[in-house]
Amino acid sequence: MPDRNLTYQDLLQIVELIKASSQFGEFHLKLGDIEVDLKRGGGKARQAAPVAALAAVATGSSATRKPEDEHDTPQRHGHVGGGEIVSEAVVSGTGHAQGASRGVPLAYPEGAILIKSPMVGSFYRAPEPGARPFVEVGQQVGMDTVVCIIEVMKLMNSVPAGASGVVTHILVEDGGPVEFGQVLVVIEPS
Amino acid sequence: MGKPFRRVLVANRGEIAVRINRACRELELETVQVYSEADRDSLAVRLADRAVCIGTARSSQSYLNAEFIVSAAMTYGADAIHPGYGFLSENAAFAALCQKVGIAFIGPSAKVISMMGDKTTAKRMAEEAGVPTTPGSTGTVSDLVEAKAVAAKLGYPVILKAAAGGGGRGMRVVWNEKDVAEQFANAAREAKAAFGDDSIYVEKYLTGIRHVEIQILSDGENVLHLGERDCSIQRRNQKLVEESPSPVLDEDVRTKIGEAAVRLCRHVAYKSAGTIECILDARNGQFYFMEMNTRIQVEHPVTELVTGIDIVKEQIRIAQGHPINMRQSDIHLRGHAIECRINAEDADNGFAPCPGRVQYFHMPGGPGIRVDSHIYSGYQIPPYYDSLLAKIIAWGQNREEAIARMRRALFEMRVEGVKTTIPFHEKLLCNEQFRRGDVHTKFVEDVLLEVK
Repeated sequence: MPDRNLTYQDLLQIVELIKASSQFGEFHLKLGDIEVDLKRGGGKARQAAPVAALAAVATGSSATRKPEDEHDTPQRHGHVGGGEIVSEAVVSGTGHAQGASRGVPLAYPEGAILIKSPMVGSFYRAPEPGARPFVEVGQQVGMDTVVCIIEVMKLMNSVPAGASGVVTHILVEDGGPVEFGQVLVVIEPS
Repeated sequence: MGKPFRRVLVANRGEIAVRINRACRELELETVQVYSEADRDSLAVRLADRAVCIGTARSSQSYLNAEFIVSAAMTYGADAIHPGYGFLSENAAFAALCQKVGIAFIGPSAKVISMMGDKTTAKRMAEEAGVPTTPGSTGTVSDLVEAKAVAAKLGYPVILKAAAGGGGRGMRVVWNEKDVAEQFANAAREAKAAFGDDSIYVEKYLTGIRHVEIQILSDGENVLHLGERDCSIQRRNQKLVEESPSPVLDEDVRTKIGEAAVRLCRHVAYKSAGTIECILDARNGQFYFMEMNTRIQVEHPVTELVTGIDIVKEQIRIAQGHPINMRQSDIHLRGHAIECRINAEDADNGFAPCPGRVQYFHMPGGPGIRVDSHIYSGYQIPPYYDSLLAKIIAWGQNREEAIARMRRALFEMRVEGVKTTIPFHEKLLCNEQFRRGDVHTKFVEDVLLEVK
């Protein structure tokens, strides 16, 4: 294996490949003193392991388990930066709930700001059908820049960035359903 | 009218959300479970086909928010909403909103909810349907002078009740004429604060009474009653234990009350499941209409066990436009069922709520034991909602066997990590008066809790 560290970009690529695979049940990667463990599937209550492992990789340190992971259940946890992972665990199989969005394990850069939906409704990228989207990935935004609309029963609610920075991720498809607290857009502050 | 559902949104939480998810699964309907952030780890969220977070823990931002709930239904493709009990289940505006956006509300119409939710209108409907009502004022009293006049005619004691109230709140008992002025002012003030409406009506206050309620199922044409539940074991107007049949009802009175309940429902064109609550004076067999609950009730399993009918599935079928495939003559009460509501409360400390983590839960089982609960080992009880942990329902060939089975179940049941009312129920089930079936609505407060 080439003697270099696993970078953030490498990790994103790996995760995208895994996500794209419909046959994926378990994935285990060991590279030097770095280990990545991903599991998909129901039955077991705990899926804290992938979160901790990916977190360790992103920060380049050896795997440390955060105390609160011990009590985590297979639901998403969103939070701000620190090299931690926003992991939306997909628990498939009958009788288990699926989150509103398809689970997308992602690593966010340290200090990333996650814009979350203030309500349940439909996500729109543009003010109207056919109009230019409010923002694109790579775009600079300010505190009051509108990044998207959440439609609730025909009422349009604008969501401002609330921070200055660059858009790094837009996580929901135009017109897609979103729930309260769901991560919509990620901004790297600048 | 109705159309088949594909996906039902469960607009509630806790044990009733689990119940509704179970009924939908049997009917092969998909479920969308809405939840607040505090209920992320709840059992209903895990059982549902899909779970959608709609807001923060506060009920006003989640389970009581009609717009969020309807938005979730529309966004996630639900064609029906089951409101459970409490929260928005008897909110006419919510039912109307569902109707407006074309989502089926599993319950009666907004108009009927509104009508029967107003205590004085409901009472008038009962009178029109020839159902006996508690002697009292005709509608609300406009002022203290009128209240005094009505009370004088009825004879003391009387009870002042908020017209917009319910659930045992907004009431004041007046024992003498000299107390009327003060109590009237108190009742009006409390009603205004709690329900936004200070209208008061006056009723004769009856003592030594039992609370007997009739379960109704109606598809709009066919109106049936599923017998009675005796809910006399209460504390501060909150039910603790319910049973069916009532130990004091004979076939004659049962038929009379059942027919009266059906008459009232026909009169208001009621559709779906509902319960007519009555006061029963066991000394003379006289019953009086008290109020109607236009929703599924907490204690519905008691009736399900003695009739063999799944009331929640029937509600869902009725909402889809299916007729009820039964006649009154098909309905029989078989055996005896008792339900104990186990709450996270300290019965030795004024029943103070004790939220916390359920370190270990062992669910009782065996013959004739049904458990409706949302808790599990490791479950963190959120402090924002009610304290109900589990409903234990025991069925037996007769009342003695039901009691024996309940005692056995409570002996075996373990909820570690939080204080529960299991010891209170164990004490009640040993009580001689309770075992004789000789109780009234003040029994718990006056007799059981008095003896320390």
